[in-house]
Amino acid sequence: MIAGLRSTARADWLTGLVLLAVAVALPFLFPSRYVVGQLTLFFIWATVVSQWNLVFGVAGIFSLAQMALFAIGGYVTGMLALYLDVSLWAGMFVGGIVAILLSLLIGLACLRLHGAYVALLTLAVAQVMYLLIITDTECFMKQGVTCINFTGGTRGLARFGDFGFRDWLPYSLVPLGTYFLALAVLAVATAFSIFIIRSPLGLAFQAMRDNPGYATARGISRFKYQLVVFAASAFFTGLAGAVYAGHFRVMGANVLYLSLLLFLLSMMVVGGIGRAWGPILGAGALMLIDEGLKELVEWRLAGLGLILVIFVVALPGGLAGALDGIRERFARRRTAEG
Amino acid sequence: MDTAIQIVVSGLTLGAMYAVSTIALSLVWGSLRMLNMAQGALLTAGGYAAYTAVVTLALPVWIGLPLAILVGAVIGALMYLLVVRYMLGRPGFETNVIIGTVGIALILENLVLRLYGAYPLQQPIGLPDGFQVGATWVPWQNVLILVVSILLMVVMSAFLERTRAGRAIRATAQHQRGAMLMGVPVGRVYIQVLMIGGALAAISGIMLSTITTLAPTMGYDPMLKAFIICVIAGLGNINGALFAAFALGLFEAAVQYFLGVRFGFPALLLLVIAALIWRPYGVFGRRKQARL
Repeated sequence: MIAGLRSTARADWLTGLVLLAVAVALPFLFPSRYVVGQLTLFFIWATVVSQWNLVFGVAGIFSLAQMALFAIGGYVTGMLALYLDVSLWAGMFVGGIVAILLSLLIGLACLRLHGAYVALLTLAVAQVMYLLIITDTECFMKQGVTCINFTGGTRGLARFGDFGFRDWLPYSLVPLGTYFLALAVLAVATAFSIFIIRSPLGLAFQAMRDNPGYATARGISRFKYQLVVFAASAFFTGLAGAVYAGHFRVMGANVLYLSLLLFLLSMMVVGGIGRAWGPILGAGALMLIDEGLKELVEWRLAGLGLILVIFVVALPGGLAGALDGIRERFARRRTAEG
Repeated sequence: MDTAIQIVVSGLTLGAMYAVSTIALSLVWGSLRMLNMAQGALLTAGGYAAYTAVVTLALPVWIGLPLAILVGAVIGALMYLLVVRYMLGRPGFETNVIIGTVGIALILENLVLRLYGAYPLQQPIGLPDGFQVGATWVPWQNVLILVVSILLMVVMSAFLERTRAGRAIRATAQHQRGAMLMGVPVGRVYIQVLMIGGALAAISGIMLSTITTLAPTMGYDPMLKAFIICVIAGLGNINGALFAAFALGLFEAAVQYFLGVRFGFPALLLLVIAALIWRPYGVFGRRKQARL
């Protein structure tokens, strides 16, 4: 058992390093601005999904507030830069910390509940945030003759600058700045999520899932562990939001659209809920599918819906689950032969 | 005094609309342990089906309305036959079915968008005129919605309490395997409940569209409110849902009047969260003995 754990840990490290090397090489192989931009977005979404996967797939909290945490990270970073002239680099970490605070509030209110109740309340929290932003019409600050709302309102928060790669890098390499920043955030977030999945905390969640009675009797507190994972994952989600804001140089309430939330949910489902490498697989698959369906853009929603239904019915373990299944079959054949 | 009348009138209308959407959700959750995220899309489909029947096909209203309700029921049946059936009895049903119904909702929403376009349409059905209470104008349509919602609630409880099919549904809700062993055809119960849920959603879609407009995403907001009401009433508690719908409708109307429209929903949510911290299984919900 221990040997098995150690070998999975080694496999995880190897997979991670290979993927990282590929990601570092990619922009030099395909230097087009479009490809680099889409890959940056892929890193951002993969980060969010990897944290959501921790919350939902590992800790078993069906939270739909993930994009609310993402939005608060981005908005806080943007607002600090716009109103207080804080650099995006510092603002990013404040954004992550505010996301933790929000997640603690949501967690204290929702985590005593179960399953569907949590899904409903967290969805409502995200919707309330969306409504408060788009109905924000009060003038907070004058910039020339235009009036800026505190949250940016329906037009979104803009003109808060970016990470300043323009000043440090030659013009043709500027897009690579946010590319590598997003990649770094994804790498750290993925390492964190795999560490949690394989750590005693991950085992505790597994115990609670497999035998809740025994786990509780051994003194594992569901509420405490869930709150810890929920808050920790909020930090990386907030960071991803800040990178998003710096990448697009604008933060709008569109990140709280239900369709985007469901796009990310599809990534998690397709990749494999609760699997270590599921989020990256799923995010990659869905970004590719989305790219392929560019011509059929008017059927995009239905396509997403169909993917969700097919996977949840036919392949509930997702792509990562299918890969595991294939590997296990090979391993079994090998032991049978040997 | 006029203020009070105004708040009560708009609060009761809001409450009645919430109540109808809530019954369907409550019924489906209460008997199948299934959170139907396609409820909003079903509601939209019902509203548009009525529009097609009455405007495009120029059918009389008394044929058009039952037809639209039938469309809701058929979609409910298809949901069971094409998707839900395959998840039943498998591990993780509660979350899988949420994801699956989200998928169905996306497909339905896209269909409506492609068939009717994104622009809001005017629902032609509805009672004209109204009457005056003090300084407040009360349209008859709002009164009709109130009456229909209460009527539906009464009919649903009678159906569940007094008929054979209703007893089968309650048995399945109590203990699925037990019901199966007693010879209750659980599959048929599922399809029945989803058809009734679809029909109810269509009715609330039609009623909702008569006082607002038809739009492809019109079902989302009422669904979310209905969810919240279900949560506060205790998921699956139909009578509690009726009471909670009206109480929250009145509360929201009062907040909208005194603090401004934009704070209606946030205040509602805060109230619900406070209530849930006090009673995690809903104000009227009964704590279930956890089986380990």
